[in-house]
Amino acid sequence: MSAQPLAARKRDRRSDYAATWRAFRTAMRLGWQTEANWADPLLFFIYSVAKPVGAAAILVFMVDIISGGRADPGIRVFVVVGSALWSFVVAGIAGLAWSVLDDRERYRMLKYLYVSPNSLLVLLLGRGAARIGIGAFGALITLLIGALVLGVPFDVLRVDWPLALIAMALGLASILGLGLILAATVMQTRQDSWSYPEAVAGALFLLVGAVFPLLVLPAPIQVVGLLTPLTWWLEGIRHALFPGILSGVGGAGSVYADWTGRLTPSTAEIVLVLAASTAVVLGIGVAFFRWSERRAKEKGLFDQITGS
Amino acid sequence: MSAPPSPFVFRRTDSPQDAARWDRRRALVTNLRSVYGRAYPRLIGARREPSWLLFEILLPFLTTSAFVFVYRALDAPSEFIGFVVLGGAMTAFWLNILWMMAAQLYWERDQGNLELYFTAPISMMSILFGMAIGGLFMSGTRALVVLIVGATLYGVTFAVDQWLLLLAVFLLTMGALYGLGMVLASFFLLSGREAWHLSQGLQEPVYFVSGLNFPVGRLGLLGALAISTIPLAVGLDAMRQLAFVGSEHVYGVLPAWAEALILLAMAALFISLARWMLRHIERLARVEGKLTMKGT
Repeated sequence: MSAQPLAARKRDRRSDYAATWRAFRTAMRLGWQTEANWADPLLFFIYSVAKPVGAAAILVFMVDIISGGRADPGIRVFVVVGSALWSFVVAGIAGLAWSVLDDRERYRMLKYLYVSPNSLLVLLLGRGAARIGIGAFGALITLLIGALVLGVPFDVLRVDWPLALIAMALGLASILGLGLILAATVMQTRQDSWSYPEAVAGALFLLVGAVFPLLVLPAPIQVVGLLTPLTWWLEGIRHALFPGILSGVGGAGSVYADWTGRLTPSTAEIVLVLAASTAVVLGIGVAFFRWSERRAKEKGLFDQITGS
Repeated sequence: MSAPPSPFVFRRTDSPQDAARWDRRRALVTNLRSVYGRAYPRLIGARREPSWLLFEILLPFLTTSAFVFVYRALDAPSEFIGFVVLGGAMTAFWLNILWMMAAQLYWERDQGNLELYFTAPISMMSILFGMAIGGLFMSGTRALVVLIVGATLYGVTFAVDQWLLLLAVFLLTMGALYGLGMVLASFFLLSGREAWHLSQGLQEPVYFVSGLNFPVGRLGLLGALAISTIPLAVGLDAMRQLAFVGSEHVYGVLPAWAEALILLAMAALFISLARWMLRHIERLARVEGKLTMKGT
């Protein structure tokens, strides 16, 4: 048998990429339609912002009660930005996992998606991307409310845009990696796994110090936090949007300061650690997802609904 | 004395109408069986797949801990840590109500069970009651773990004078919450695809207006509104007053006994309303035949 000519192989590869992109786009559109076409735009807007704004309101109120309304503005910024960005995490992690549960338990389409010529991974990433878009909307509105109502001093001219863009891109990739790990997990578990994404996001909320500096946590938990890309993503975005803001990673007496001898990480350090930890999480996510996919196929889990 | 004959023994009847005429005992026993039958998959599911121990207990405990550390970072008085632990325990019930009660009939329809419930000679209340009992096992375990481990780990000191009233308030809160869950189950079913989003939208905003991590009285008018409409807000406010006696930070809206009465009224109202709504949707299902259609 003769080897395939180089031009033909290139053509095949291009056609593969085109098919993958088409599948991703279609899945993203389907995800958006599933999420958004149930209500009129006003109701959808209320739904999209109620959760993140409610979460931010809880934290701001906690700060205000304790400080008697005289909290350091830096703390308020820290809390508002952390809770606004967290809607990306909840949406991203839940997006992939709920797509598996939706398609298996509710629409019963998972088995058909699996046997379709497209990669299940690409389809789920597309669905997850749609939810991240909705999460982004919630985050943006929360930041806007923070700036307009809660007194967060946002100055568009002081923003470090390159850092913001790089940190956001890497952060989203790490969220998708975590989402893949959870999607792979719920592929193996039962219907009541609906609450698992929120539980995982809630646990990460503590570990990465989303709304408080890591240094208030016990040292071993600080170490876990330092190994998690979300910690560095939050740090990067905070530094980009509000240069000179309180560091979530460092500070006097923190594990970071003990290890490095410095109180706050530099921009390059943030990007480097974020990139490295994202690569690790993405790698683990893809490998775990592939394993879970194989196991689900062997055990017939794609069409095993588990109503309880 | 011999036991009464089983209501389920075959008896010959003259017509289907005659066969459908059940005495009270038979109706009661059938409904109790339905309660057990609906609770069973949840209870047995918890035993067969222990992953819920991690996802339903350990991880939510970490979420509660996050709020503890927020207060620690702010050097808050120790009672506030106690408020967070108490609130963290109560979220288990609210989440259970939203996801495993309110949205459940909607999911049962998608799974094809709803029409079976409507055609079976049972009360829909017994189905929902069975769900509640099954769900209470998981959420009760989670609440207990959050309360015990949280109190131990974070050094929360409870000061309780009236244990009986505290227990009564807790039970009344459960009655009112699960009554509300039954009402929401009918409402979510009627609202079609919005059920999913309503469940989502009723989490954090309800936590906020219920004063999950801080005294609801500090919210002013919003807190007062919550006290008059949301069982979680009233129950938490009353429990905070009873579990932290003498604390200057409790800031109760009404005396605990008055809030117990509000909870009693809420429980009666929500359970009656749920009964009426379930009958209404059952009638709709039979008359219009559309309620059990999937994807509506």
